[in-house]
Amino acid sequence: MSTDNFLELRGLKKYFDVGRPSLFSRKSRDLHAVDGVTFTLRRSEVIALVGESGCGKSTLALLLMGLEDPTEGTVTYEGRDITHLDDRQRKDLRRKIQMVFQDPYESLNPTQTIEEIVTEPLVVHGFANNADREQRVKKAMEDSGLKPAEVYLHRYPHELSGGQRQRVVIAAALVLEPEIILADEPVSMLDVSIRAEIINLLAELRITRQIAVIFITHDLGSVGFFADRVAVMYLGRIVEIGTMLEVLEKPQHPYTKALISVIPVPNPRLRRERIILQGETPNPIDIPTGCRFHPRCPVALATCKASDPPLVTLSKTHQASCLLLVQ
Amino acid sequence: MESTIQSSEQNQLLARFSGFWQSFKKNRSGLIGLGMLVVILVMAIFAPLIAPYASSSTSSAGLSDIYNPPSAAHWFGTDDAGQDVFSNFIFGARVSLTVGFFAAFISIIIGGIFGLVAGFFGGRWENFIMRFTDIMLVIPDLPLMVVIVALTKPSLLNIIFVIGLLGWTTTARVVRSQTLAVKSRKFVLRARAIGAGKGHIVSHHILPLVMPILVVQAVLVVSLAILNESALSFIGLGDPTALSWGQMLNYAFGRGAMSTGAWWALVVPGFGIVWVVLGLTLLGQGLEKVLNPRLETHHLMQGRPSVQSEAGWDVAKKGTLLEVQNLSINYVNEGQPPARAVENVSFTLKEGELIGLVGESGCGKTTLMLSLLRLLPAAGQIVNGRVFFNGKDLVMLGDEELNDIRWKGISIVFQGAMNALNPVRTVGDQIAESITQHLPGFPKENIEARVIELLELVGIAADHKDHFAHQYSGGMRQRAMIAMALACNPQVIIADEPTTALDVMIQAQILELLDGLRKKLGLAIIFVTHDLGVVAEMCDKVLVMYGGVTAEYADVDIIYNNPKHPYTQELLKAFPDLTKPKKKLSSIPGYPPRLEALPAGCRFAPRCPSVFSRCHTEQPILHDLGNEHLASCHLLEASK
Repeated sequence: MSTDNFLELRGLKKYFDVGRPSLFSRKSRDLHAVDGVTFTLRRSEVIALVGESGCGKSTLALLLMGLEDPTEGTVTYEGRDITHLDDRQRKDLRRKIQMVFQDPYESLNPTQTIEEIVTEPLVVHGFANNADREQRVKKAMEDSGLKPAEVYLHRYPHELSGGQRQRVVIAAALVLEPEIILADEPVSMLDVSIRAEIINLLAELRITRQIAVIFITHDLGSVGFFADRVAVMYLGRIVEIGTMLEVLEKPQHPYTKALISVIPVPNPRLRRERIILQGETPNPIDIPTGCRFHPRCPVALATCKASDPPLVTLSKTHQASCLLLVQ
Repeated sequence: MESTIQSSEQNQLLARFSGFWQSFKKNRSGLIGLGMLVVILVMAIFAPLIAPYASSSTSSAGLSDIYNPPSAAHWFGTDDAGQDVFSNFIFGARVSLTVGFFAAFISIIIGGIFGLVAGFFGGRWENFIMRFTDIMLVIPDLPLMVVIVALTKPSLLNIIFVIGLLGWTTTARVVRSQTLAVKSRKFVLRARAIGAGKGHIVSHHILPLVMPILVVQAVLVVSLAILNESALSFIGLGDPTALSWGQMLNYAFGRGAMSTGAWWALVVPGFGIVWVVLGLTLLGQGLEKVLNPRLETHHLMQGRPSVQSEAGWDVAKKGTLLEVQNLSINYVNEGQPPARAVENVSFTLKEGELIGLVGESGCGKTTLMLSLLRLLPAAGQIVNGRVFFNGKDLVMLGDEELNDIRWKGISIVFQGAMNALNPVRTVGDQIAESITQHLPGFPKENIEARVIELLELVGIAADHKDHFAHQYSGGMRQRAMIAMALACNPQVIIADEPTTALDVMIQAQILELLDGLRKKLGLAIIFVTHDLGVVAEMCDKVLVMYGGVTAEYADVDIIYNNPKHPYTQELLKAFPDLTKPKKKLSSIPGYPPRLEALPAGCRFAPRCPSVFSRCHTEQPILHDLGNEHLASCHLLEASK
């Protein structure tokens, strides 16, 4: 594993114009979906982006994929600025960064066979006439655990189980031999017994194919052994980032602590005190003043309303943004 | 190589078509419509062979031939020019159908392209096209056609173009809405993420899903075009050189068929028009049923299951609220052996107790729960067993008595709260409705207070009462569903995956709420889930199901710390445990069995790590391990 900064995000922001609040208002309002995100991804590293819905993690994925244009900030890939690209350059880059979606029932076209689905990326990128097409399709499928490939080639998505469908999505991503896979909640729609299978598959791919994985999830529990680093997002920002053990065993931000406390532990003898935050993530149109977490924070101080805490460096790899850490 | 690919593509097309035909075959109205059309088409194509007289043969016509009644020589009489009505009818079919098909072709192409462009590109294009469509829709078609045809020369070609150019509006709207629906689906986003361009997305992803709707639409547009042509011809704007059915009507009507009593000259062409339009409509309906996925009927229809169990069971034990004894449910499909969805499942529930029902999807959890209140789809039948609730056997109760228990004794919180709430009525209204529906005698003036009380019970402020479901967040919707379930003070709540689609924090809030309600109201809860973590946090007892049978049933502590069934053991290993973050997860290879292809022996045998030969041939019985711990595995034989 090399330690070069392979993919780098600097102050990435995405605001959506949601129009004027009323007919007579002058200014239209913005929805701050992603509000200044900075992190780096190393080659064949697995980073987990964790947060509740509305924290901006899915918008961040769309920004990385170039499916949305950022309002501010830069993304560099192998030292090259890829924030704004024209269609041609973007298409070339797509081969390197592939995405796996949340819902394997919705993300496959029901009228295509598995062969058509897995071959499609090759067609789109003009590799379809290469002699090794069939080889590549079969290899991608078998690397994704669809063995032997022949059994699945002529089937339709509805004939497969949820886990198998998610493998098809992964195969269609692998067929282009990407260097980064962006997985947006890839297991949340699957049964628990199958989740492990998909996570293990992704973990294997980073070893066999040196693929870096950005794993987006709301469930800290599922990233356990698999992620190298964990970034916790709240309302468009990273509030804590560190190695997996740092974040899971020594969480510093009150939000991370709460998230960890509510993860069910599969042992009734270990029922713990849960920190259940009240309410839900505020609307990203009206971001609270000061620390954006203060209205839900169980340990908020009066000063939290006024000042927005920066990310405080706690160790070489561990950062968190909380006024309690600023001393 | 190329040829094999091509032949495999051909095979696929063939397979798709035969699949379509298989389901279309079952549709009676569609088949009748198709039959009606085939008759007319054959007649039109082979007109010279079928018609007893050549078309427009005026040579033999004299005064005595005009408006002759039906006879052996002229089956349907003669018309105003002394021609054979039947022959004209047959040749007229050619004209009417030609106009119909070509005009519809033009309409479909224009409407299809407009709809696709508007739906796919959106923005300014959509605005322009849809406003234009609206204007065209507001202008009445027929008067406009009359004006245009009157201004141009009324030739067949002109008529085809006029009808075609004016008949695309509904097609454009239908195609646009379908395109919008398909465009927002995840597989289109995935195609973009792969790097596919717009052309590729339209041709590979949008069109294949718009096509079925377009086919249905085309059939209807053809019938509309035929009607329009008839109307134009009837008012004298048809092509005088081409005798369509409408033209026949026009001549007969204009030249005294009514006054001379020559009904045949009017009825025969009129019958042709009705026949074709009816045939096309029936065919359109049939196609729509097969091709339009939105018309699928929902599987949760109420049906009274037939019960075929012998009497002579234990009466319910004292102190238990709900006792399920050896419940078995089959799904019966015509011509196939019954699928054994649930087999011999038993459990008990005491007041204030929380039981977890755990298993992978397709293991029969939901079937079991629905069967308790006999809400199974019509094909689901309770073939054995008893469900005692407060001493009454729900399986044997009449429908009315059972209605007394639904919601008032046992109620259900369904999964997917967004779909279970009506989007056009306020949440408060819907809660009020669940009170009035089940408790008709409830005093009207108290309803509002009761709704507020219920909302506050589930942690929703009273002022949200008058909001709609879309104004609620996911967590609040689930709370509203719980309020609805509580409306009639039930003793048992069945919560079917109530937290599956929710974030962990909201999930924790809902679980805390359910736990609080159980303590406050003494509710007994059946918690259906595939999430073992949630079960460990909340439940007293656990029933692990696999492939429709009980794998293991025990106290929650035994299930997690001393599980005996290999399935329970494997399931636990697959669950991420935060207290052991470095532990690699193991997964259970394979998938749960399909109900129509259950293994002969133990249903878990194909995936079991400790399988041995006996497992493949003999289904294990449920072994009682003491302390109300039950497990069905051959390995437990020796340890007993």
